Amino acid sequence: MFSKHHFWLAVFLLPLVFGCYPHGAQSYTDYDLVYTNFSDSTNFSQYKTFALPDSVIKITGDVFNNSSGDGKPEFLPPAYSEAILGQIAKNMIAYGWTEVDKNANPDAILLPEVTTTTNIYWYYDWGYWGWYYPGYYPGWGWYYPGYYPPYVSSYTTGTLLIQMTDQKSINVNPQGTVANVPVIWVCILNGLANGSTADVTTRVQNNLDQAFAQSPYLKH
Amino acid sequence: MKTAIIISLLAIGPACGFAQSNFMISYPIGFPMGNLHDYVGSTSFRGINMEFNKIVAPNQTVGLETGWNVFYQHVDKKVYTEGSQSITGVQYRYTNAVPIIAGGKFYFESKKSIHPYVGVGLGTLYVDRTTDFGIYRINTDAWQFCIRPEAGIEARAGSAESFFIGVKYYWAFNTSDLDAQPYLTLNVGFRFTNL
Repeated sequence: MFSKHHFWLAVFLLPLVFGCYPHGAQSYTDYDLVYTNFSDSTNFSQYKTFALPDSVIKITGDVFNNSSGDGKPEFLPPAYSEAILGQIAKNMIAYGWTEVDKNANPDAILLPEVTTTTNIYWYYDWGYWGWYYPGYYPGWGWYYPGYYPPYVSSYTTGTLLIQMTDQKSINVNPQGTVANVPVIWVCILNGLANGSTADVTTRVQNNLDQAFAQSPYLKH
Repeated sequence: MKTAIIISLLAIGPACGFAQSNFMISYPIGFPMGNLHDYVGSTSFRGINMEFNKIVAPNQTVGLETGWNVFYQHVDKKVYTEGSQSITGVQYRYTNAVPIIAGGKFYFESKKSIHPYVGVGLGTLYVDRTTDFGIYRINTDAWQFCIRPEAGIEARAGSAESFFIGVKYYWAFNTSDLDAQPYLTLNVGFRFTNL
């Protein structure tokens, strides 16, 4: 009496429980992450001007391999680049900064890049920016005063990295060949690179707005 | 799934063997407490609880209990800040809690068919915590020592069947991997006595 009856009751009840596991992410935006970090020894109010390149580069590996032979890395298609650069400039200007040419002695330079590699180490090859960076020599390097950004891993996903370099505290040796360039702010946007160009750019733009919103110390 | 198989075996396996025993099956509504509540604030309506008890005296039983509660919370887009770092995203938080407890119950004498009972058990609480944050999944699991007091009321419905409603508190203890994850359940279920 006990064994059959109640054994089957238990057997029929169990699948009911397994069948109601809660759901997870529902849309692409649910996968978006916006990360920012900064050097807290930096007083951002002393910086007034910034420069921004006219392209977003693609980081293809820790070492810049100059595959095109002209010293330039790969670039993101203009549809994405323009949306990203425009949104960065808009947010910076809204925070009281003025955009100037890279040769007009900017206080800070913003370097946007997208990774397609599985793992990117933040001390990636400076060669990626040699085509753009004012006064650049191959011996230059980045450093992060007082903080460490995380490793970035990326698979079938898009990751946009932005570094803000401090042009006021740059340490160049007399020959100009070796320099330590402080990176005072970093931003990482991570998420699925799925969807139409319009969808992806809208998400990236919204996430850039979030990156600035969570970095109020950049405001003048 | 592995957990599911273990639960099934633990619950159903012994039910086929002993004499002078009872089987209790209930629906536990889980209320997260302490650190678990800090992580998932929502009540758990997903779960099952089963006990197999041996009757050692007319009003005393000893037995084994297992069960499963899924605690789940969707945390909307939010900024998490630590030092100079800030990160924004949506989180999906899951905690699967599976107690495996040995315990005893004492039923108070009553002339009516309603019998209050109290019990206490000792054992382990397996906790599996998963946080989905962006494309990343952070998973931690732990076997925590657990003391489980309980109290309830049973109403005899027939010669072998009873209905019961009770409260169990899973008082879990810290482990190195995870802080204690206590919770309370309100159980509604049936007891089937072997004759």
